[in-house]
Amino acid sequence: MEEEEEGGGEEQQQFSYRQRLKAAVHYTVGCLCEEVASDRGMPFSKPAIAAVSELTFRQCETFAKDLEMFARHAKRSTINTEDVKLLARRSNSLLKYITEKTEELAQFNTEQKAKKKQKLEEDNTRAVVPAEAAAARKDGP
Amino acid sequence: MAEAMAESYNRDSEPTTRTLLRRVLDTADTLTPRRRRSARVSAQKALLETPSSRRLSSPTKMNVRRRSHRARSIGRLAHVHTSGNLEEQTPRTLLKNILLTAPESSVMMPESVVKPVPTPQVVQSSRRESSRGSLELQLPELEPPTTLALGLLAPGRRKQRQRLSVFQQGMDQGLPLSQEPRGNGSASSLTSSLNLTFATPLQPQSAQRPGLARRPPTRRAVDVGAFLQDLRDTSLALASPGDSLRTPVATLPTDTVLEDTQPFSQPLIGRSPSVYHSLPCLSHTEAEDAKRAVSHRTQSSGPRLQNHNPGKPTQLLAGKAKKVDALAVSFPNNSSAVSGEDGVEPLQDGVGEEAEERMEESLSVSKVVATTGTQGSVRMEKSKGHREMTEAAEAKEPEGSSGASLELASSTTEFLQARRPQFLEPAPPPSAAVLSSEPLEPLSTRLPPRARTPGPRPRQDPHKTGLSHYVKLFSFYAKMPMEKAALEMVEKCLDKYFQHLCDDLEVFAAHAGRKTVRPEDLELLMRRQGLVNDQVSLHVLVERHLPLEYRQLLIPCAFSGNSVFPAQ
Repeated sequence: MEEEEEGGGEEQQQFSYRQRLKAAVHYTVGCLCEEVASDRGMPFSKPAIAAVSELTFRQCETFAKDLEMFARHAKRSTINTEDVKLLARRSNSLLKYITEKTEELAQFNTEQKAKKKQKLEEDNTRAVVPAEAAAARKDGP
Repeated sequence: MAEAMAESYNRDSEPTTRTLLRRVLDTADTLTPRRRRSARVSAQKALLETPSSRRLSSPTKMNVRRRSHRARSIGRLAHVHTSGNLEEQTPRTLLKNILLTAPESSVMMPESVVKPVPTPQVVQSSRRESSRGSLELQLPELEPPTTLALGLLAPGRRKQRQRLSVFQQGMDQGLPLSQEPRGNGSASSLTSSLNLTFATPLQPQSAQRPGLARRPPTRRAVDVGAFLQDLRDTSLALASPGDSLRTPVATLPTDTVLEDTQPFSQPLIGRSPSVYHSLPCLSHTEAEDAKRAVSHRTQSSGPRLQNHNPGKPTQLLAGKAKKVDALAVSFPNNSSAVSGEDGVEPLQDGVGEEAEERMEESLSVSKVVATTGTQGSVRMEKSKGHREMTEAAEAKEPEGSSGASLELASSTTEFLQARRPQFLEPAPPPSAAVLSSEPLEPLSTRLPPRARTPGPRPRQDPHKTGLSHYVKLFSFYAKMPMEKAALEMVEKCLDKYFQHLCDDLEVFAAHAGRKTVRPEDLELLMRRQGLVNDQVSLHVLVERHLPLEYRQLLIPCAFSGNSVFPAQ
C-alpha cells in the first residue's frame, strides 16, 4: 500500500516534471515561432505551435536515447561532440553548422591551452634562468 | 547331455563365438557374473589362454567371467542352466537362447544358405556380426539384454527394426530392399558396418541407435585449393563478356540451384563447380583476385564467413538474391579462404544483386576484381549486414571517391568501389584499404588504369538491376497490378533506402573507430529503426525471421568440446 503510494507519488512527480519540461519547451517553441512568423509574415496557429512543441519534446527524447547508444557504441560513458555530429549527419546544413561550431570550440580550446603553456613556460624559464645563472656563477669562479 | 557332448566336440575344434559362448554358459553361475569372478581368475588363466587369446579381444569383464567359468567343472550340463533362466532375461539367458536357436554358422565364412532365424537372434547375431573381426563378446554387458529383451517383448518393434534396417541398408548401399537373408552378399560387401550376414536382414549399426540413424552427413570443409582451381579453370575457359551477356546466361543455371530447399546441404558442393562452369561471369582476374582475397581474408574473417562464400558466381549472375543465397549457402564452407574468393558474396539480399551488377561491371576490369575480391571477403564478415553491407559500401563510395582513400570504415565500401565504376579511380584505393586493414595498395594502384573500361551504359544497368528482384517481390506482395512508373518509384525508394542504410552502417563503424562493419553496428541501426528495443533483441529477430542456417551462424551457441560457434 505504501509502496504503491510511493510509486504512485514518484510517478506523479515524474509526470509533473515532464509536464513542466513540456511547458518550457512549448514556451520556447512559441517564441521561435513568433520570430519566424514575423520574419515570413505568416502567423502560426496555436495548435500548430503545440504540435511543433510536442514533436520537439519527443524528438529530444529520441535524441537523448540515440546519443546514449552512440556513446555506448563507441565504448564511452560520456556523450561526445562526435556523438552529436553522428546524430546530426542527416541534415547537411545542421551538420555543417555543428562541425563549424565544434571547430571553433576546438580552436578556442587549443588557444587557451597554448596560452597556458606559454605561461608555464615563462614561469619555468624565469625559474630556470636564475638557477642557471646561479649555477654558472658557482661554476665559474 | 547332448549339449555337453556338443560342447566338448566344439571345444576341440577352433573356438568360435558359439563355442566360447557355450563354454561361458556352461561354466558360469546363474548369478550375476561380475561379483565373484576375481577370486577365480588366477586358477583358470591357463585354461582360458589358448582359446581366448587367439581371437578374442573381449573386454576384461568377459575374460574375468570366462575365467571364473573355467573354474567350474566343464562337464556341467548346460541345459540345467538354460531351463531355469528363461524368465530372468539375464545376459546369460539371452546368450543361451542365441546358442540354442541360432544356426551353426561361422561369422567369418559366407553362408550359402542362411536359414531364417527367429528375430531375437537376428538382433543378437546382427550385433555379433557387426563386431566381426573380433570375437568381442561385449554382448552380455551391453546390447543383447536390451535388444533381445525388446525383441522378445515387441515382435512388432522387431519387424519395424528389420524394415528399418533393410531400408537403411538399401539406402546406404543403394541395393534393392529385400527381406531375404543376404548372407551371401554380406561377406563380400565392403562396409562392415552394414551387417548383412546371418539371417534376415540385420540392422546396420546406425539403425541400432535410431536417434543417430538420420543424422545428416557431416559437412566437409570445402577444399579451397580445388575450388580456386576450378574457378580459375572456368574463368580461363570462359570469356568475360559484358555484363548484359552475363546476366541472362547466369540466371539460367542458377535457377536450378535455387530450387534446392536445403541450401546448406552437402550435395550442392558437388554442383557448385558445375554451376561455376555454367556461369560465364567469372573472369580470369576474378579468380586471381579471389585468391588474393582469400589470402587476405583468412585472417579477417571469422566463422561468420561461412555462409557467404561461394555465392560469388551466382551473385554475379543472378539478379536474384535467392540465387545468391542458394549458391552461397550451398557451400558449407568453413574456410574463410573460400569465402574470400568472392567479392560476391554475402549478399543474400537483393541488395547484393545491385552490388553484384555493379560488381559485374567492375569485375570486367581485371584489377577491379581484386577489390571486389577483397570486398567480397570483407563482405563476408558481415554476415548480418546482408544488403546493408553492400549498401554501406555503396554509401562509402561517394566518400571514398572524395579522396579519403584508406579510411573506409566499412569493408563494404570496397565493394562499393567496385560497384560504381565511375568512381573507380578514387575507389580502388579506398577499396583496397579496408579489408582487415591490410595494405592493398598494390592492388589499388593497378586498378585505376583499368577502371575506365566499362562504358557509361553498364554503369546505369548495374545500378538498378540489383533491385529488380526486390521490386518484383514488392509487386508480388502488392497482390494487385502495378504501373511501371510505380515500380520504378519503388525501385528508387529502395535504392535510397539501401544507400542510407549502408551510409549509416559505415558511419557507425567509423564512430566506433573500426574499419569493418560488425553486427554491433547493425544492431545499433536496427535500434534506431525501432526494430530492436529493450523488449526485442536482435537475436529474437534473427530467430523469428531467418532460417535455421543463418541462425546458427549468427547466434553464438555452445557446442561440445567447450567451443562456441560462431566465436566471439
